[in-house]
Amino acid sequence: MKLERSDRGPLYAFLGPAIVLMLVFFVIPVIYVFVVSLLKWNGISAPVFRNIRNYTLLFKDTAFKRSVINNVIWALVAGFIQVPLAMVMAIILSRKPKGWKFFRTVYFFPQVISGIALAMLWRAIYNAETGLLNGILRSIGLGSVACDWLGGIKTAFPAVLIYWVFYVGYYMVIMMADITTIDTSYYEAATIDGATDFQQAIYITIPLIKKTSLLTCVTLASVMGLRQFEQVYMLTNGGPANTTSTMVLYMYKKLQDANYGIASASAVVLIIVGVLFIVCIRKLFEGQSEETAMIKKARRAVK
Amino acid sequence: MSETRLRPKLRGKELILAILRWILIIFFAVYTLFPLIWLVVSSLKTNFEFLAGSPFALPAKPQWVNYTNALTVAGLGRMLFNSVFVGLSATVVNIIVASMGAYCISRFRFKGREKIFTLFTAGILVPLNALMVPYFVIITKLGLINTYGGMILLYTAIGIPMSTFLIRGLMDSIPMELEEAAYIDGCGFYARFFHIILPLSRTGIVTAATFEFLTCWNEFVFANLLVSSEKLRTIQVGIRYFTNQFSTDYVSMYAAIVISIVPSIVGYILFQEQIIAGMTSGAVKG
Amino acid sequence: MKKTLAILLALVMVFALAAPAAFADDEIVINFPSVWVGTDSKAPYMAQLIEQFNAENAGQIKVVVEEQTDYQAARDKLRTTITTGNTPDLCILDTTYDILAYTESGKFMDLTPYLEDGWGEDFVDGTFDAWNVDGKVCFLPFESAVFTPIYNTRIFEEIGWDHFPATYDEFFQFCEDAKAAGYNAMGQMAGENAWSSMLWYSLIAEAIGGKDVYADGLDNPAFVEAAEVLKHMYDYTFEGALSAGAGDVNGHWLKRDTAIYLNGPWWVANLYKEENAVDGVLLADDCEVAANPVYEGGQGEGGLVTTVQAFLAAAKQDDPAKEAAVVKFIKYITDPQHVSELALSSGAMFFVKYEPSPDTNVISQKLTEVANNADFTILHVNGAFPTAFSTEFPAAVSALVGGQVDAQGFVDQLKMAIEMAE
Repeated sequence: MKLERSDRGPLYAFLGPAIVLMLVFFVIPVIYVFVVSLLKWNGISAPVFRNIRNYTLLFKDTAFKRSVINNVIWALVAGFIQVPLAMVMAIILSRKPKGWKFFRTVYFFPQVISGIALAMLWRAIYNAETGLLNGILRSIGLGSVACDWLGGIKTAFPAVLIYWVFYVGYYMVIMMADITTIDTSYYEAATIDGATDFQQAIYITIPLIKKTSLLTCVTLASVMGLRQFEQVYMLTNGGPANTTSTMVLYMYKKLQDANYGIASASAVVLIIVGVLFIVCIRKLFEGQSEETAMIKKARRAVK
Repeated sequence: MSETRLRPKLRGKELILAILRWILIIFFAVYTLFPLIWLVVSSLKTNFEFLAGSPFALPAKPQWVNYTNALTVAGLGRMLFNSVFVGLSATVVNIIVASMGAYCISRFRFKGREKIFTLFTAGILVPLNALMVPYFVIITKLGLINTYGGMILLYTAIGIPMSTFLIRGLMDSIPMELEEAAYIDGCGFYARFFHIILPLSRTGIVTAATFEFLTCWNEFVFANLLVSSEKLRTIQVGIRYFTNQFSTDYVSMYAAIVISIVPSIVGYILFQEQIIAGMTSGAVKG
Repeated sequence: MKKTLAILLALVMVFALAAPAAFADDEIVINFPSVWVGTDSKAPYMAQLIEQFNAENAGQIKVVVEEQTDYQAARDKLRTTITTGNTPDLCILDTTYDILAYTESGKFMDLTPYLEDGWGEDFVDGTFDAWNVDGKVCFLPFESAVFTPIYNTRIFEEIGWDHFPATYDEFFQFCEDAKAAGYNAMGQMAGENAWSSMLWYSLIAEAIGGKDVYADGLDNPAFVEAAEVLKHMYDYTFEGALSAGAGDVNGHWLKRDTAIYLNGPWWVANLYKEENAVDGVLLADDCEVAANPVYEGGQGEGGLVTTVQAFLAAAKQDDPAKEAAVVKFIKYITDPQHVSELALSSGAMFFVKYEPSPDTNVISQKLTEVANNADFTILHVNGAFPTAFSTEFPAAVSALVGGQVDAQGFVDQLKMAIEMAE
């Protein structure tokens, strides 16, 4: 919509509070973080200007490189496995099978359970001796596969990643809300034409939520993947051998060391990686607003 | 929504799909309910049972005393109130500010619009742990250290990028024609916002509000940093009452966690009805 | 809808702006963020002590405790407040290595004049020789700890050992026997902060390098050799030690399937808990205190690993009355009579000289005996190296045991972490 002269005043009034909050709580602090990233500073002694040395140190550190890679994997898995899973469940539940309200509520529970509890449970499940997973493997004769999942250099990261992929409740609820706004007559028209539920999902539902809730969820999930901290901190603390480390965890550890320079540099890198990610996702979803034949047909039929 | 979908008899491929569907539904239900059940069972054990016994065994005798511990020793009652109060206040303020901002960014073309939105989106990515020092300074300078206001203000602010992002996403999908028609009918800026856009973006607002509230509810670092008075402490501080460098009282901690999630779950179930109500009156896509 | 919103907003404003009630003007308020609260073993007596102090000084001084139960969060907050110039009136610090920078910052009260005024006599001889910066004591060593193994005599008897191994060679023979009998020799953990493994590493390093093990930092070859020994120990611990945390180590020890336990004196109270008894027998009744074994060719005989578990430090005050009040309170806490009671109730050990209560439990008495009989002491690695060492330790030890790096690589990884922080 074009901006009318009469709208100018209200526009500033509306945008103002958000902008002020952003300036005070994001722009200024992030500038601070950037400045500190060029310093050697322990928070107590006088800071020393270091130029970009913190950044070169950062990229020499294998633990940090590993953290970046882990985060990228995490973001990709979140955006392109977790969200599609959530979408499948959203489509299934929006067809209102028996007890769908109950399931929708239940799927959301992990979101409200404290992260500590989830992490403790999964530590117990992955435990080498008393863990549920090894117990199941042993009872079905796969005892040789049983191992210390969170302690193995090869298994720890997949273990941390996989358990979490199936907690899809939040994204599912977002997409379900969106799917419910689709005009039901579309489905009715398609059903009359003999389209199966599966075809309807592919040719009506997905195209119609693609640029709205699906894009939102993919972005959201990727960002969450890039910001991943609490779960890793509680499950493995980045171990073994930093194989499950993430950028925020890495940064947190450097803060513990009172290494404000390096910690800030890693925060800056995280923001840059994240912005690149978001831009890529937007590009990926751009210009693909195709209307499938089924939607067109349904639309004609409805009219 | 009408329930007039045709349900032909299932056979062959459709039957397999139906079975598959139910396997998925039940798998996810078990997967998500399990932590809750485990948590409740664990919270009824003794520490000895929890540490030395099997993590999946039932307690010999349910230890309700853990709950009395959590409620009396850690004083969770007051903390629950603080969490609800701070969480709700921050959510209300946050959603008002964010939806106003999102409206401008979503519906109007003006100079710097995309830059502003990029700024907001980038805000989602800022790792807040790195901002402990600046946030502490800002809140102190505003004289809000150790007050509800300090927490509410901070939580409102740190949620702005996410809320704006979520609400804008929904506002973008509202057809321009609707608003243009209203404009031609003489609707002003505020009327269009309150009577057309706001009701139609209800789903986005509810999504953002849920997210914001959960963020506040689960936030610990700043809750601990910005407040030192016991009267103002929130539930996340309470949960950690039983942790200690060398001797964690796990079972009481679990009891505290169970107590802390009850309001969220009840709140969510109640809130959910609101979403549905919002949706049936919402726009139709197509 | 709009009305409710307006009411809500108004409510928010009112609540938000209501600041906590102010105290009477002439009363000096000392704010004291304390980790000795909640489930900490020192919590009950400390609470009593502070209440008593406030009662004795009613109307003049009031100590307000800010409860900090989460250690890491407490550290984060403390550092942030110090960095931003809001140092608490009194605080507890456990990061030994930071005290140099903190003292130099000038943000803390110099306690030296008060200590020289006779107060210093209350402390164990030599305490301040080690803990001063250019003769200035801002950080008062308060709680100490000794680290020496405790073992389960019942398991030892069962596998035919009537004594604790005197040397590390013998130690590994014992480990073999324990393993053959289906027991874990000791608990190791590389998860969380790898606390148990870090303690064992200190003990081994002491046994090899002796008194001067820290003289050349991590360049001392003793640290490489100690890494080899530590790695070997992982053959005799429970399954899954690479991901284990404190809960796992403690759980195994409580379950009585682990022969040797290593932790600080604060853990002793758990040995006496009814909750941890099996068939009515307290764990303490099956426990014995041992000394760090001797390493063949090492220089550690007679040595003991200790640490400063907590320093007390006060913010620099401009107001002499407030300074006096803070000092009065610190003196109150460190009063030998009070410390004796604190030691009795918590099992912890202190730098203050005190008459131990006759009610002190047997294990605590034996620990004190070990501490008194040591020829020399060295610091736990945790306190001897910068924080970056401890932060990196779990990753380094899991890389070592997981076979990603050798003993030299393990030490190099820790060195690199320290270098990054400097």
